[in-house]
Amino acid sequence: MANTIDLSPVARPKTATPWTRTSPAQKLSYAAAVVVPAGLYALYMVLTGADLMSGLFTIFLPLQILVGMLAGILTYGKKGIMDALLYVVTIFFSAFVLVLLLSVIWSLTEAGLKAISPHFFYQNNNYVQVNTSLEYGGVGHAILGTVLIVGVSALITVPLAIATGVFLTETRSKTRGVIRTLLQAMSGLPSVVAGLFVYSMLIVTGVTQYAGWAGAIALIPLMLPTVARVTEEALRLVPVELRNGALALGAPAWRAFLQVTLPAARTGILTAVLLGLARVIGETAPLILTTLPGNGTNLNIFEGPIATLPTYIYYYISVGFDTSIQRAWGAALVIMILVAILFTSARLVARPVGQFRKKGK
Amino acid sequence: MNTNIKNHLTSEDVNVWFGERHVLKNVSLQFPNRQVTALIGPSGCGKSTFIRTLNRMHELIPSAGFAGKVLLDGDDIYGESVDPVTVRAKIGMVFQKPNPFPTMSIKDNVLSGMKLSGTKITNGEELVETSLRRASIWNEVKDRLGEPALSLSGGQQQRLCIARGLAMSPEVLLMDEPCSALDPGSTRRIEETILELKEQMTIVIVTHNMQQAQRVADQTAFFLSEDGNPGHVVEFGTTDQVFNMPVDARTNDYVNGHFG
Amino acid sequence: MTAQAPEKIPPRLKLVVKPTTVPDKIFFGISTAAGYSSIVLVSLILLFLIIRAWPAFASQNIFDFMFAAGWDNAAQPPIFHIGAMLWGSLLVAGLGVLFAIPMAISIAYFIEFMAPKAIAKGATVLVDFLAAIPSIVLGLWGFTVLSPVAAEWAAMLNKSLGFIPIFANGDANFQRSPFIAGIVVSVMIVPIIASITREIFSQMDQELIKGSLALGATKESTFRRVILPTASGGIVGGVLLGLGRALGETVAIFYVLNVIYDDFNWFNILEPRGGSIASLILAKFGEATSDEIPALMAAGVVLFVVTLIISSIASYIVAKAQPWRKN
Ligand SMILES: Nc1ncnc2c1ncn2[C@@H]1O[C@H](COP(=O)(O)OP(=O)(O)OP(=O)(O)O)[C@@H](O)[C@H]1O
Ligand SMILES: [Mg+2]
Repeated sequence: MANTIDLSPVARPKTATPWTRTSPAQKLSYAAAVVVPAGLYALYMVLTGADLMSGLFTIFLPLQILVGMLAGILTYGKKGIMDALLYVVTIFFSAFVLVLLLSVIWSLTEAGLKAISPHFFYQNNNYVQVNTSLEYGGVGHAILGTVLIVGVSALITVPLAIATGVFLTETRSKTRGVIRTLLQAMSGLPSVVAGLFVYSMLIVTGVTQYAGWAGAIALIPLMLPTVARVTEEALRLVPVELRNGALALGAPAWRAFLQVTLPAARTGILTAVLLGLARVIGETAPLILTTLPGNGTNLNIFEGPIATLPTYIYYYISVGFDTSIQRAWGAALVIMILVAILFTSARLVARPVGQFRKKGK
Repeated sequence: MNTNIKNHLTSEDVNVWFGERHVLKNVSLQFPNRQVTALIGPSGCGKSTFIRTLNRMHELIPSAGFAGKVLLDGDDIYGESVDPVTVRAKIGMVFQKPNPFPTMSIKDNVLSGMKLSGTKITNGEELVETSLRRASIWNEVKDRLGEPALSLSGGQQQRLCIARGLAMSPEVLLMDEPCSALDPGSTRRIEETILELKEQMTIVIVTHNMQQAQRVADQTAFFLSEDGNPGHVVEFGTTDQVFNMPVDARTNDYVNGHFG
Repeated sequence: MTAQAPEKIPPRLKLVVKPTTVPDKIFFGISTAAGYSSIVLVSLILLFLIIRAWPAFASQNIFDFMFAAGWDNAAQPPIFHIGAMLWGSLLVAGLGVLFAIPMAISIAYFIEFMAPKAIAKGATVLVDFLAAIPSIVLGLWGFTVLSPVAAEWAAMLNKSLGFIPIFANGDANFQRSPFIAGIVVSVMIVPIIASITREIFSQMDQELIKGSLALGATKESTFRRVILPTASGGIVGGVLLGLGRALGETVAIFYVLNVIYDDFNWFNILEPRGGSIASLILAKFGEATSDEIPALMAAGVVLFVVTLIISSIASYIVAKAQPWRKN
């Protein structure tokens, strides 16, 4: 009988991870710790007619902490109190951030969709008054303006940022550390200051009137740090063996870079560009100081009023009519869609770079 | 040593520092034409460092320091007016870890040296075939030249890297533990390739494998770095002499595996 | 034969890795120039702002300009003092940081030490996405959605803790206060602090944490005694980065803060009056008189210098705390 051993695989039992076992009493107290505060808070809302958010910090959080600590004591004794506190606080605040984010997305979708219809994407605002009904007009001109201004800005910034990345990774200059710190610091440059800068350099001096290209220049210092630093990361992820392989074949540094390092880092650099675009596409203050709002379509970045999505939102909120605020929501939704597209493509593109991804320690 | 063979590559009193640390001291070796020289020695004694001085890859390490001469056909490659880029084009190098260019196809990898050094490619197809043949990998890849280089196995990648170097028709080929990441089968094929290639060029190979050194090398240099002192050459001679009648007791210990 | 090492060592060569050919010189020349371009850019910004701001610095007593309150372009001579705005910016940014810290550290701890992998990944993406929301959108949201809710919180705070001067409010209006502006700003800087904290947490020596737990420490005391102290440098850096960002924030604050130019609101954070240099610039720029423009430029200089100093210190600290990012 012992001669025949059954070697066929057996389905994994549910109890295959005994270390995660929780006793029924523990399960009960966990469940209670989650359900009781929520229930009590719901009761409170019903009784007082308060809404969900109003007592979140003053009533719900203390209640949840109290009940959580009780559950902690019940399951782990005295030691469980502080751990329960850590759990409750951590999850509460994490969830709170999630709620904030969802609230932003929800209100954008809800209010934005009311304003949006097909013509909202392609019509401009000629003949539209602040209180004109939403059946007329749209942000077509502002989308074009944003694409033009951000595009021109990227045309200048991206090569500059990539070259900066090259400086930071391919040279041995002693100032690299300084530049790196400066770039990091520049990413905190107040956007209104970038606008003032271009205003004082180009507009006051008479180099140009308010115009799209002035806005494009104002976006450069805001976009440069993001693109340069992500590019640097991407270049740094290219294994040194590849570079050495190219150099050992007798490649001059520039060819080794252009033909080996750059192609190997291309997805990372694309990510950098997309993140840079997402960073500046919603910049408002610099454009308010350097461009004039317009209602018509203007494809000339060197002359004339030019609308962009962020300044469109800005002016329509400022006006304060119900319809104008609705238009602002519509434009905000359009901007968010653009940002989401950039953000998602940056994520998708970044994936294959995994082949060089640094391992953790 | 047989002195009537012309010395192709010679190192004279090569010294290396990393920062202030003296890593190699007065290494003087002669690499005759059409011979394979093996560099052996315990880990950390400076073999890789030395081989990198032979095509000026050494200076790419930021803290690197150097003294001495490396003569290629009598001319110092560290001479004032010498461009390291041209030196590297003449002296090929194969690394420990296969490093084909991941964004290029197999074919483009073979031609990459020409493209990277800005040499005009006149007969690409033929060059690809001959280089791959000389690296004994042609039969395995001839139907998939357009595929990405990373689709090859590790051993095939390493032979592709050899082919990539050969396409530049180097006079000298430096190999730093080319088989250490490979299985025995691939190792044997690369050894065969080395023996064929040596008919046309000078080869320097770093290896930790004593049998490999005996199988492929005409002469062998034993490096040692003791008690934190800089690495130096303890013994240098024909492979037969170094392995079978070493002069130095330490060499004897090392080649017979009695070494800490 | 044995190599007899002669004692004489040849002279050490100078190994300068310099571009030798013209294309390489151009290649390195361009990238070096690009590298220095950020220095040039920052210098240009300072230079032009200062040149344009000069008349204001010359006509206003610099001390009053920085530290007094009052903005009147019709007065003779016009008064341009940004003290109240500077203080208001600091107050709002300080509140923003205060609110953001617990959220950011919680999220980072949740992602690194509590959540299962898939959820942690999702949460990381969401935090990054939060960082990508343009400030004008947050401003619109803060103005229409958040303000009413936050005003309720503020009223509650006032009702229960109003005897403490900070929470006092002589007004029945709880909208457009530094408190609300602080919350909006905190939403913007949570991702900044969270992502730096998370990275520091993730690179932390796991042995240290396991060791502490193995010694019988609770999760909470491990967090308080081991994780936080080890990560504190990086967190401080992240917080300063957030502070810099909060100080420079413009449009998101613009709609949710009632800016009062001629009076300081030192600490009544629930009252609908506050200050912000960036809002001042944005609000006054459109109809500025020719005397006023230099004063706005001067305000910009102050804002820039303050944020640059804070961000530089922050980047220095963060770089120190993230040694794995060095070459
Ligand atoms: N980039 C570097 N910077 C500083 N020191 C280095 C560097 N590369 C090597 N060294 C040092 O130089 C010495 C020789 O190293 P090398 O890599 O040449 O040894 P090796 O003989 O090739 O060893 P192995 O057989 O393990 O490959 C070692 O002490 C090493 O620590
Ligand atoms: Mg080695």
